[in-house]
Amino acid sequence: MRTLAGCAALALCLLAVAAETPSGDVANGKRLFMTYGCYECHGTMGAGGGIAGPRIAPNPLPFFGVKTKLRTASGRMPVYSETVLKDAEIADIYAYLQSIPTGKNAHDIEMLNR
Amino acid sequence: MPRRRNSTDTEQSALGRRGFLKAATLAGTGAIASAGTIARAVASPEATSSQGTKPDGAAAAAKSPRHSVQLTSRESEQGAPPHLEGPSHTTCGSDFMVDVMRNLGIDYVAAIPGNTFKGLHESIINYGMTTTPALEHISCMHEEISVAISHGYAKIAGKPMACMMHSTVGLQHGSMAIYNAWADRVPVFAIVGAQLDAAKRRSYVDWAHSVFDGPALVRDFTKFDDTPISLSHFAESANRAYKFSMTPPYGPVLLAVDQNLQEDPIGAGVSAGIVKRVQSSPARGDDAAVLEAARWLVAAQNPVIVADRAARTAQGLALMIELAETLQAAVVDMYGRMNFPWRHPLNQTRQQAEKIAAADVILGLELTDFWGVTNGRLAPGARRISITAGDLYLKANYQDFERFTPVDLAIAADAEATLPSLIEAIRKLVTPARRSVFKSRGAQLAKDHQDALGQSRADAAVGWDIQPITTARMCAEIYEQIRNEDWALCNGTVFQNYWPQQLWTATHHYQYIGDSGAYGLGYLPGATVGAALAHRKHGRLAVAIGGDGDLMFAPGALWTAAHHKIPLLYVVHNNRAYHQEVMFVQMMANKRNRGIDRAHIGNAITDPNVDFARFANGLGVYAEGPITDPKDLAPALKRAIAVVKRGEPALVDVVSQGR
Repeated sequence: MRTLAGCAALALCLLAVAAETPSGDVANGKRLFMTYGCYECHGTMGAGGGIAGPRIAPNPLPFFGVKTKLRTASGRMPVYSETVLKDAEIADIYAYLQSIPTGKNAHDIEMLNR
Repeated sequence: MPRRRNSTDTEQSALGRRGFLKAATLAGTGAIASAGTIARAVASPEATSSQGTKPDGAAAAAKSPRHSVQLTSRESEQGAPPHLEGPSHTTCGSDFMVDVMRNLGIDYVAAIPGNTFKGLHESIINYGMTTTPALEHISCMHEEISVAISHGYAKIAGKPMACMMHSTVGLQHGSMAIYNAWADRVPVFAIVGAQLDAAKRRSYVDWAHSVFDGPALVRDFTKFDDTPISLSHFAESANRAYKFSMTPPYGPVLLAVDQNLQEDPIGAGVSAGIVKRVQSSPARGDDAAVLEAARWLVAAQNPVIVADRAARTAQGLALMIELAETLQAAVVDMYGRMNFPWRHPLNQTRQQAEKIAAADVILGLELTDFWGVTNGRLAPGARRISITAGDLYLKANYQDFERFTPVDLAIAADAEATLPSLIEAIRKLVTPARRSVFKSRGAQLAKDHQDALGQSRADAAVGWDIQPITTARMCAEIYEQIRNEDWALCNGTVFQNYWPQQLWTATHHYQYIGDSGAYGLGYLPGATVGAALAHRKHGRLAVAIGGDGDLMFAPGALWTAAHHKIPLLYVVHNNRAYHQEVMFVQMMANKRNRGIDRAHIGNAITDPNVDFARFANGLGVYAEGPITDPKDLAPALKRAIAVVKRGEPALVDVVSQGR
């Protein structure tokens, strides 16, 4: 019973997340990612840069989390208000992050297993 | 006694030219061997050498004015350099200074020329370099490089080399690098020329380059300075300076050396002798405090050892391992030095936030920023122990001592020197029951270490094939080429996201030397050349990974490496920007709602892109690049390393991600 209730809640959450994720333009998102300096700290494909910025792709946080981080950033991360970055532009950047492929598995890269 | 390095004939000639000084001073450096005696030299033109040879020019020197050409006008200053007439002197003060320096065990002097130390310059090249033990001159392109070379060298050699700077402007150029050495607790034996006698200044330039108290410029970040007015004074001050620079906390020292004291013949009846070298033993922690620390550590459930500049020798590294293994405690390395093997199972640096938060006792060893390590993470009731020589010596103006940390036990002592007694006290307190607890703790930490390594590898794989090349890929490719060599990394790695520490295996104390100390840009090119100079006699493969912005501050260091055939692989982490500053400008722009699309202005190093390979070629250094495709890295590195193995520097320019 408890398991069923849990599954239902999860499904609702996923639906909600899906509903909150607007569609975006990958190409424009990539352009914005470079123009607005995201790549400076997170790398051109979101791989991260240590203390400068965490890994944000592949498999980014849910859209709501990304948007909240952009709007209310703290520490080294600049705050992106609606004035400098529209919601639609965030959607485009998010689409770019989602488009970044997973890439190689570390186990398959010999020099990483020395 | 110093010996001329060439043929027998040359040596006999040297005895003729330098015979007096040898008799006068280097009975002393006999000196060097028979420490304990103070060589007494009565410098008079009539003195004879130990071979009984009368010095050629001494008598004449006593009769002739030193400078027969007096320049008094600006026009003459802008014309041909003044011709220094008169006989050559065999009894000059600067030869004596050379002997004082070699008596201190100084092997190298780095300098860009300056007329306020031309006497010393001449003595080094014609006396120091031609007799043994040799005092070699390292030619530099900037005083900042001269000091940085000395900085990097000392961290490997375990002793200072000297650097010389011109009065006023030269020291001003070198001052930032001196501050780096100060903040990094590194001994540097610095000399600045001086023209103290106003009546001897020849022109407006001499006046512009004269200062009453030159060392005042850097007094806030040197351990000792002096302006000796006699050769005996110089000998004593040099020894005092050396001694204090080599007493933990190590630091740079400075002597302002008068031009006339260098250049004038040693006058009749002047007494000047080499003073025996004295070195203080580092301060060890008080026995009662060390015992208390041992009690806390043995009783702790989750002790964490945090080390910054703790291990400076092979013995120091061995002691760090012994301490950690005795306690089976977590070690967090702040990477100020090679404090702990990077792949040791107890190395928990990657998980430092979690480990510190869970700690009930934290032992900070030569920790620069204890506050920063524990701020916001300290568990209720957790106790902090500090062992640092930083508590023994402090200056107020420059604030590199960081925020005050209210530790629970502060031991004012050198950590490396205190480790033996701390380990011994711990051993005596460990019961079988505690040993059993330690064992299970160690097993868990080993698992945590392995998990962290797996995470590092997974993170490194992200973006493996992208362009610009990731710093993880760049570092992994470098390691792939050097891992079977006796390599030594000569740079701090914060800007490469600490990938070497995450992915490489380092076990020797010389394989890592930390960063600049004060984050003063321009450190790396010189410091890596200095470190590579110290590695050279050991045949190690010196490697540096440095930013493009840092290299643009002091590229002349590459010429020095080429000129002196100092083998060094210099990999440029070329992210084409003063990257960290971009972030700060972005923050400002967004805070003001102006957008960050112009934040690159003033930060980016593009339009044009710097071609570091051609640049390095022009300085006489073999170079590869710009490398943009990660597939091209391995072959480029192989070719460059082949050059380095031949005994020359090589540069590889890698167009990389920001971090």
